[in-house]
Amino acid sequence: MMRFSTLMKHPADWMTGADTDSAIVLTSRIRLARNITGAPFPGWARKEERIKILPELRDKVETLAEMKDAFSHQLSELSSVQKQVLVERHLISREQAARSEGSAIVVNRNQTLSVMINEEDHLRLQSIRSGLHLREAYQLITSIDKDLEQSLPYAFDHELGYLTACPTNVGTGLRASAMIHLPGLVISDHIGQVIQAVGKLGLAVRGIFGEGTESLGHLFQISNQSTLGESEEDILNRLERVIQKVREQERNARSKLLEEDPQMLADKISRAYGQLKYAYVIDSKEALTHLSLVRLGSDMGCFPRETMKLCDSLLMDIEPAHLQHKADRKLSPEERDTMRAEIIRSRLQNLTSPVINFIN
Amino acid sequence: MLTKKIPSADAFPFAILYLQSSIVSAMQCEHCDNKATVFYTQIIDGIGKKSCLCESCANEQGITDPDGFLLGSQDIQNQGDPSSSEASPKIKVSIGKPSNRSCPGCGFAFDDLKKTGRLGCSECYDFFRNEIKNNLGGMHKGTSHTGRVPAGMLEAFRERQELEKLEEKLNKAISSEDYEKAAALRDEIGKITSQDTTPPEQQTKP
Repeated sequence: MMRFSTLMKHPADWMTGADTDSAIVLTSRIRLARNITGAPFPGWARKEERIKILPELRDKVETLAEMKDAFSHQLSELSSVQKQVLVERHLISREQAARSEGSAIVVNRNQTLSVMINEEDHLRLQSIRSGLHLREAYQLITSIDKDLEQSLPYAFDHELGYLTACPTNVGTGLRASAMIHLPGLVISDHIGQVIQAVGKLGLAVRGIFGEGTESLGHLFQISNQSTLGESEEDILNRLERVIQKVREQERNARSKLLEEDPQMLADKISRAYGQLKYAYVIDSKEALTHLSLVRLGSDMGCFPRETMKLCDSLLMDIEPAHLQHKADRKLSPEERDTMRAEIIRSRLQNLTSPVINFIN
Repeated sequence: MLTKKIPSADAFPFAILYLQSSIVSAMQCEHCDNKATVFYTQIIDGIGKKSCLCESCANEQGITDPDGFLLGSQDIQNQGDPSSSEASPKIKVSIGKPSNRSCPGCGFAFDDLKKTGRLGCSECYDFFRNEIKNNLGGMHKGTSHTGRVPAGMLEAFRERQELEKLEEKLNKAISSEDYEKAAALRDEIGKITSQDTTPPEQQTKP
């Protein structure tokens, strides 16, 4: 079985931007909600009922071929920092992190597949890929789903489809989403229009970090809202089309900024580089903002291409639980800000000043 | 004339309710023959849907409950939560008279959905089918499943959907007094339902 330390040491490809085209769409994620007929949903079940059903479910999940040498733990076996680290790595939800006995997480070796047991639903299957690859993620998750349905009596209704604890997931039980980086649209002040347009198509857009439209790190998530009355194929098609459209808009926004205000762009990117490289105390808000701009700079040729991967790893490594896990103790916010700056400085050590070749 | 507008600033779809007590007399309730006194406009995705109901039918549907009927409302607090990596709208539900019916499978009462936003078990969907269906409006693209079906349930699922389609056609044929067609449809339905007594074929892959 895979140990927590191994999991920490080898982050998944998708966490560090493996796809050649993850400049704007960082990751694609598919989640299926499944339940067992005749057993109360985890939120309504008594603790004993959750504990009783867990081994049956866990056994089925662990014996999947895809789950060979998997990371598999009951939530009660993990410390609160460990749980938080898993949340920051998007392997479990915050809701599951709050659970303990009677709830488990099983993650495959390369961390492209994670199965939450007894979260809001009996099973939450999740697959994440780098770049815009919703279909690949969907294929993996469907093959897992088909394996599990052979041996588990899924709760399914002829009219309402797969039955879920929350009626917002009923039908396909499918939530598909992508994490996208939209600094161009935010800087050019077009993000509001884009969010509105996407919302009108029945899709949700929200910031990954922070609140409101001016999301920290210019990172957003687009996902489907409706799960009933449409096939999986329809949901994926629509979402993919919209994401491609948003990506195109972001590309346009970046070109337009280059054309209309290259000085401003050069200034933002270079200052962000300077702040990160020479900071001794930095909170996560400031760090995310600057990292986003360095990431943008890397896409615009100011930094070597690998800088983008560096940024993506840093986005994860400077989060609170990751810092505390590294320090192996609880850190005060001030201590975290110092440690965050230290990590960033050391990672950017060999990164030379931005090359600005777009100002004539 | 009394017009009462119930504010629902935190709600989407916006529900605007006008209670008019005297002015309108000619309108009839959509659900019964009583005089309609409650005129209700629900705006979903910018499209208004008007309903005319009598007081008691309106109460029954929970429309006059200002806290209720805010189904599909966005959970604003949820928006900035970076961890749940999911933007599922929280639901608020209302039903008519408080009911103390509870699910025979798990003891869940429909009112609990108001508190928790979640149901008790898969049987709840069967037991509270109508209440749930009434509250699904606006949340999803449609009201019936068109996606994947677990292997082994595919045959039964298709049959059930086919039956529903035929029954609808049958009702149409009867109301348009096309008895020849109705008879043919009835035979077709009979064929399918009589097959039901024999065990359905085991389906392996959809």
